[in-house]
Amino acid sequence: MSPRVRIALLALAALVLLPGAAEVIAGLPPFGSTIAQYGERINAITPEARHVANMVSAINFDLRGLDTLGEEFMLLAAITGTVVLLRGRRGEGNTGHAMRRPGRAVIPRSEAVILACRIAGPLTALFGLYVVLHATVTPGGGFQGGVILASGTLLIYLGEGYAGWRQAIHSHWLDALEGGGALLFALCGLVPMLTGAAFMQNILPLGTFRDLFSGGLMLVENLGVALAVTGGFTQLFLEFMEETRAADEAEEPGEESA
Amino acid sequence: MSVLPYAVAAWLFGIGLYGIATSRNFIHLVGCLGVCQSATYVLLLGLGYRWGGIAPIFYDHPPGTPAVDPVMQALVLTDIVVGATLTALLLVLTIQAHKRGGSLDPEKLRPMRAGGTSGRGQGASRVSDREQSTS
Repeated sequence: MSPRVRIALLALAALVLLPGAAEVIAGLPPFGSTIAQYGERINAITPEARHVANMVSAINFDLRGLDTLGEEFMLLAAITGTVVLLRGRRGEGNTGHAMRRPGRAVIPRSEAVILACRIAGPLTALFGLYVVLHATVTPGGGFQGGVILASGTLLIYLGEGYAGWRQAIHSHWLDALEGGGALLFALCGLVPMLTGAAFMQNILPLGTFRDLFSGGLMLVENLGVALAVTGGFTQLFLEFMEETRAADEAEEPGEESA
Repeated sequence: MSVLPYAVAAWLFGIGLYGIATSRNFIHLVGCLGVCQSATYVLLLGLGYRWGGIAPIFYDHPPGTPAVDPVMQALVLTDIVVGATLTALLLVLTIQAHKRGGSLDPEKLRPMRAGGTSGRGQGASRVSDREQSTS
């Protein structure tokens, strides 16, 4: 299909769809006037019913926990797909330590960068832990905190170089974090069933409102998500960096023709 | 002005779709998909907003204070996380397409041949691919 035909098709589709889109936008409630009844009810009931202050965490880990379980496995599937596609070509061997593509220069880092990373790295990790732990109290949770923790590990790479980063980060640990986090979340759904409760019913003591230990089972699920996101995002970065290591074959024929 | 956020969402989606349709580079295409996706963030947050509402976190404000819709915020949160991992997956597919076809242009994407899919025989099949393309 030539680009011109494609543009024409796109314009045609836009012409057909635009009246419908305009109709829908005109039918939406005016911006800022009201919110959906479901969200309104959650805001009204949940602080008392679940003893949590953060409604977003309450929805993600309790009220709509089943949806988050599905999303957790989407995350797992996307990361597994990435790892399989990258490793499938490269093979499993020699993934234990850092290697370098021959001929690629190693640029030395300035001392200022190393110092800044050594200061900022632990602080970032600490902040990530804070965000993870305060999921039910303040804006935070496993998803956001997990990404902050993963970026904390990236500061190790920035400061210590690739070899130092690979000494600190082991691929198998990341696999365990990623899979273990998803497993923990799934167990949070299944274990309440052993006691006769419903799937993912909040059977743990709910704790006190505005306290770190509030929300019961949500804290465990939140921990599972944090582990999975930290492991998953670090794993993604590791696998992309591994693309730059020396291939088992001497040279890639496909790259010459580029 | 009350339709402005929805119009912004529609415009973002449309311009991302235009970029996808006219893209000549897979990385550019993945970026355009990200623009399309950000339209969903604007739409969801716009739907859940209320003038004067606080964030749906009742720590500093007592429960019962008018707040914005927490469902939309939870949706956007999961949207962002899944979007980030899917972007990584698409970029890996881009790497694979470049390794097999030697090009990032979607126009030059050719069907994969049988025999090039197994891990072992890849090197050999790739060489034969190159011979075919040069002849």
